[in-house]
Amino acid sequence: MKREKGYTKKNFLKGIIAENPLFVSILGTCPALATTKTIEAALGMGILFTIVLICSSVLVSLLRKVISEEIRTPAYIVIIATFVTIVKMLTNAFLPELFSTLGVFISLIVVNCIVLGRAEAYASKNNVFDSFIDALGMGLGYTLAILSMAVFREILGTGAISFGKIFYFIPYFKLQIIPKNYVLSIFQNPAGAFIVFGVILAVIAFFSNRKKEYQAYLARQEKIRKAEEAKKLAAQKAEGGNK
Amino acid sequence: MNIFISFVLAIISSMLIDNVVLSRFYGICPFLGVSRKVNSSLGMGVAVVFVIMLATVICWPLYNFILVPAGIAFMDTVAYILVIASIVQLVGLFIKKYSPSLYKSLGIYLPLITTNCAVLGVAQSNTDQGLSFLNSIANAMGTSIGFLLIIVTFSCIRVRLESSNTPKAFKGLPIALICAALMAIALVGLQGLFSGIKL
Amino acid sequence: MSKEISLVIAIVVLVALLGIFLITFVAYRKTPLPKGCENLKADDEKCAACSNTQCVFNKKEEEEK
Repeated sequence: MKREKGYTKKNFLKGIIAENPLFVSILGTCPALATTKTIEAALGMGILFTIVLICSSVLVSLLRKVISEEIRTPAYIVIIATFVTIVKMLTNAFLPELFSTLGVFISLIVVNCIVLGRAEAYASKNNVFDSFIDALGMGLGYTLAILSMAVFREILGTGAISFGKIFYFIPYFKLQIIPKNYVLSIFQNPAGAFIVFGVILAVIAFFSNRKKEYQAYLARQEKIRKAEEAKKLAAQKAEGGNK
Repeated sequence: MNIFISFVLAIISSMLIDNVVLSRFYGICPFLGVSRKVNSSLGMGVAVVFVIMLATVICWPLYNFILVPAGIAFMDTVAYILVIASIVQLVGLFIKKYSPSLYKSLGIYLPLITTNCAVLGVAQSNTDQGLSFLNSIANAMGTSIGFLLIIVTFSCIRVRLESSNTPKAFKGLPIALICAALMAIALVGLQGLFSGIKL
Repeated sequence: MSKEISLVIAIVVLVALLGIFLITFVAYRKTPLPKGCENLKADDEKCAACSNTQCVFNKKEEEEK
């Protein structure tokens, strides 16, 4: 197989922007809405998710010639569930605060459509290195997406950014940005999660619509220009014929 | 009698107050994906009710009578996902063979349920919280009926949304999410419904 | 209970569950579709919500392409 130049870079970046799992493909919405109450929880979720995604992608890619087409899905489910169990136990042991904050959502990584989707769509067809890069990009893209949601929810909902409660090895600090009397606590409620997600999607749709409109405008201009040129040519020909 | 009342209260509270989609955030994918037409959301909801009930009935004994006594409770997630996936395949097999009419209405939604977080979420949270068998059943029943209720209501709203005049950027999913937020706020109003009842 | 017995039970449980899943998975695939259900269509013509590859709506779109 011939490799395009800069394929690795493109492969890595596509997960972050062009094929962002959360904002473009709308996958993995459950943890994105549930764990974005605080920035720390979202960061923890993103890290755990990325670890599971990378491990399962690499293993699936390693075993892609062993697993027959017939039993693909069951095999992938078992692989993913095993890694989730390992991650869950490690979290419980080393970051108990994160474990209790995320609760069931660590186990729910198993049924996250992104992990299974990447295993089926990419890792089962590509080599280990490409799968690793793809998983890293997707995981990072997802982490950044849920972090951006958490930033809005925490700042608007509590008026402050605090760090150090879950990752206990970081000294605790709290930065009050909005005075306490002016916070909108709805952003800490479930309703706020839906609103933030909806507004972010609308903003993305707004810019992509504008881009599309601009391209359509360019195409129209091009068409008009060509039509005018054709007219001119026809006119010149007609003049030449008259002479 | 007390057991019966607490059973009913548990069902209602997990159905409305702590709704599966709008406050616990399980099953957002089908909630957004299969809610464009009332019929398909009804099919999806009924299939989910069926699988959640079956999964709870099987997973609770599996955890409490096999995994815990053997000291392998850490294996719960792997065991549950396998049980759920088997149930989905088995149910699909049965209705494929014996009830073509049921397959016609539910068949296409069944494979989707394996990756529905609501099923695994209910099984996992039942055993994580250490609920009794009766409470697990109540939780499963309330959760699944709550899912059905919300997804059908939401699909009715979305049918109306399609024909309404929304800003261009909000068309489709964004305005649906804002509607979901309004529904969540409505359900917050029910909080504390049973706070006066003491058993 | 000693660790060895736990390990054995863990493996037995895992293999049993996996076996059941595999059997049902293959059996489901091999069961022919009932009459009149050859090309079932969801009521949604096209799903814009997500790109879940497990999803029927998604698969249909791929086929169209």
